[in-house]
Amino acid sequence: MPVHKLLARQLAKAAKPSGEVDLQALLALVSTAYEQSEADRQRTDRSIALMIGELEQLNHGLDKLVQERTAELRNREFELQAQNLRFDAAIENMPQGLCMFDRNERLIVCNARYGEIYGLSPAQTKPGVTLRSILEARVKAGYHPDEPHIYVEKILTKVRTGQPYYSEYPMSDGRVFAINHRPMTGGGWVAIHQDITAQKQAETQIAFMARHDGLTGLANRSVLLEKMEEALARLRRHGSPFTVFMLDLDLFKIVNDSLGHPVGDELLKVVAARLLACTRETDTVARLGGDEFAILATADDNQQGAAIATANRLLAAISTPFDLDGNAINIGTSIGIVLAPTHGVNVEQLIKNADLALYKAKAEGRDSYRIFEPSMGLEAITRRAHQSELRNALTNDEFVLHYHPIVDVQTQETASVEALIRWKHPQRGMISPLEFIPLAEETGLINPIGEWVLRKACADAAHWPANVKVSVNLSAVQFRRLCPIDNVRSVLDETGLPPERLELEITETVLLQGSEDNVETLHQLRAMGIAIVLDDFGTGYSSLSYLRMFPFDKIKIDRSFVHELAKNEHSASIVSAVAGLGRSLRIGTVAEGVETEEQLVLIRAAGCTHAQGYLFGKPCPAAELNFRRFVQRNHKIKVA
Amino acid sequence: MRVAQFSWSEDAGWAAPASNADSDLVFFFGTRQALAGGDRYHELRAMFPRAHIVGCSTGGQIHDDDVTDDDIAAAALGFDATRLQVASEPAAAADRSRACGEAIGRSLAAPDLVGVFVLSDGLNVNGSELAAGISSVLGKRVPITGGLAGDGADFRETLVGANCVPRKHLVAGVGFYGAAIRIGHGSAGGWDEFGPRRRITKSRGNVLFEFDGEPALDLYERYLGEDEAKGLPGSGLLFPLRIFDPERPQHDIVRTILAIDREARSMTFAGDVPQDWTAQLMRGHFDRLAAGAASAARQAVDGIGEARSGDSLAILVSCIGRRLLMGQHTADELEATSAEFGPRIPQLGFYSYGEISPHRVSGVCELHNQTMTVTTIAEAAESARA
Repeated sequence: MPVHKLLARQLAKAAKPSGEVDLQALLALVSTAYEQSEADRQRTDRSIALMIGELEQLNHGLDKLVQERTAELRNREFELQAQNLRFDAAIENMPQGLCMFDRNERLIVCNARYGEIYGLSPAQTKPGVTLRSILEARVKAGYHPDEPHIYVEKILTKVRTGQPYYSEYPMSDGRVFAINHRPMTGGGWVAIHQDITAQKQAETQIAFMARHDGLTGLANRSVLLEKMEEALARLRRHGSPFTVFMLDLDLFKIVNDSLGHPVGDELLKVVAARLLACTRETDTVARLGGDEFAILATADDNQQGAAIATANRLLAAISTPFDLDGNAINIGTSIGIVLAPTHGVNVEQLIKNADLALYKAKAEGRDSYRIFEPSMGLEAITRRAHQSELRNALTNDEFVLHYHPIVDVQTQETASVEALIRWKHPQRGMISPLEFIPLAEETGLINPIGEWVLRKACADAAHWPANVKVSVNLSAVQFRRLCPIDNVRSVLDETGLPPERLELEITETVLLQGSEDNVETLHQLRAMGIAIVLDDFGTGYSSLSYLRMFPFDKIKIDRSFVHELAKNEHSASIVSAVAGLGRSLRIGTVAEGVETEEQLVLIRAAGCTHAQGYLFGKPCPAAELNFRRFVQRNHKIKVA
Repeated sequence: MRVAQFSWSEDAGWAAPASNADSDLVFFFGTRQALAGGDRYHELRAMFPRAHIVGCSTGGQIHDDDVTDDDIAAAALGFDATRLQVASEPAAAADRSRACGEAIGRSLAAPDLVGVFVLSDGLNVNGSELAAGISSVLGKRVPITGGLAGDGADFRETLVGANCVPRKHLVAGVGFYGAAIRIGHGSAGGWDEFGPRRRITKSRGNVLFEFDGEPALDLYERYLGEDEAKGLPGSGLLFPLRIFDPERPQHDIVRTILAIDREARSMTFAGDVPQDWTAQLMRGHFDRLAAGAASAARQAVDGIGEARSGDSLAILVSCIGRRLLMGQHTADELEATSAEFGPRIPQLGFYSYGEISPHRVSGVCELHNQTMTVTTIAEAAESARA
């Protein structure tokens, strides 16, 4: 019987020297072997169970890790997708064309706008196409600068320098593209293509606007000065003379105020067009602001003759009636002319002299031109001297008031006295207001002078009989520059004259200029108890609508009608009509310039309520006034 | 070469060979108890007055295909054309092991040195450092084999003798010189890896603290179970530890546990357990352990060639762990090696606390654990001598 090698070994171990088996020893060995085997089995079982447990745990841990990593990867993928979507959306919604090329000049990506700009099909902008093929497609589609044959090579050369650049390309179709090229690290580049046509046009527009008048499109003052400098340079180099015309529209202000700024603006545009039509292309027509224009014209031998011819053309052009929105508008222009080099060899001098000539033209009745003369400079100097004298006159108390009575036609008693200013010049004697009031209005001295007149008249009148009113003229300029209400109120307070004894005479110009504000002021003055008188009715526009605009207390009929009364039926009927209108509106009517008893009879017959004129005495200082009744006798009025 | 095997037992005393006067070298392996006191050494010295007498305490003696616990196994070797030299150094402390190895190496170094057989204290030495110290002086060309002395399953005290009474804290080396000597070597485990790979997350030198953040001792106690855990550190040998640098997984080493510290929850091994290396438990199966031993024997036989003159000897140094696991089946591995050697090569040896042998891959002399390490010694036939 085969024996297990372990048992054989055990038997050998348990054998006594005699060869006999020590049974006790054998059993011990066998028992130990069993124990060892049992321990080994148990150990094996245990270790395998533990190992399985550990491996399961490990496996579980790995599963978890895999799940976590998978979730993480998925999240990253989502995030990446979202990012890509955002990136795509951003790229696709760019107003610019964007393209990205790799180091081999092959397209990586571009947006739809890029294709649109250059008229490229999706196939032509597939990732992988070369820059060269795109450039050639652009040229084929007609989107290239002027020289297509060198364009492709030029761009390729530029791109290969690896330097960033910005270029603007005017395309053959008139558009302008800007390319902003930025190389990327590791080769390739990103470029942004933008259609900057609108921007370029705006820039051109801005440049134009900086040099032109926005309303008329004419050159502006700075361009005129620049052109004059250029003309002066030509004059110095080649002796080429030139002429400058300074224009100022007559009556424009009235159009603007009565018909509104939009009509005024339209008028300026048409004026501009007419000025251009009167000049040559080489001439410069500029608008200097408001209703002032200037023309720079090159000249030849017959400089003065040509200048006069041009001036006449301009006068004729502007005095031709304008038809704007059905409004027939009549204006004119005054023109000052300087001839270079005769009247000056620098811009400043020429402009100054042209202004002087213009001033002269305006002062001498509108719708005319004047060529500069050296005496104009002297006149200007005189005017400046007068200005300073006028200013001193106020402080030196050189003004005096003369009073001219206004008589009630029925009672023949003095109803009121018109205050008239005189300048008692220390050297030149008494000066008429016709001479210095325009200067005062021009310089603004009219305000302190007017205030002085009002205060003096009210102060004088305060000493007169209570039934005699004082009448003071208020110029349109005074309305424009300060508020007459506060002024009048403070003067009345100071002098103690009741407002009912004050009459303020205004001309229709007050209503024409800023009419609403002025009408409001007049209402307030009238509410104070002051009488408001419309002066010089019958001259100017003399629209009856003025009478509707404001409830005047009196209307003064201009002396020209009264003078013609006996000889001219037309005048007589006008006087009658005005008087009749006054009656029906319960407005008093004053006939000015009554010098004869005949005239008095006639105006009484016409229905005028009051009369003023030499028949009742000349204007005189306050001290010489007497307020007795006038008696009509032998065609002479005597003071009773 | 002439070889005479003999033994000593408590009952019968020395069963010495008839003629021993011309022996040059005597190897002896016995229990600590049998060797302690020096009587056996003195007896041997009397018997072999001119021989180098070298031996150590063990975890069991190998006498051919038998393993014994109480007696002393010995062999007397006589050489025809080989010079010998023995060197010994005190093993002062584990952290001086490298210096100790270097001293041995320097003592034995010579141009005609062919091989060194080392016996070292088994508890007070870092075997890795000792092996590294010797080979740092002698280089890869000279194979260094041997082992660490044992103390049964007690791990209390080991003894080494080299021409002196066996004592603790000693390292001895025998150098073989000359053209005639042939030394073969082989080393194999036959253990099976099992369970997950673990990371050494905390260690210092040869002291292991943690695997994957968990105390290493906890793992061992769990695997051993309550009963066997009481037998630590000895029972730890049932689960040898294979460690390797994760960068060089082929270059793996098996470590033997020498001591535990239940307070610190640490384990001390016979060699380094570097932090961040990978570790895996191993378990043994009798048949495969025996097959491993056979593989080691084959390598060693191949190393000495066929053209031998006279006798040969195989010195087996097998790990105490193998014996603990195999119990009465231990003889299986000795039968397996014996079958490889055949009748012409007798085998002598001991169960150790560590084996020294060149690494099978790198050739660098290293400390091994849980292996069967075989050194074959022979003298070449005259015609084959270089």
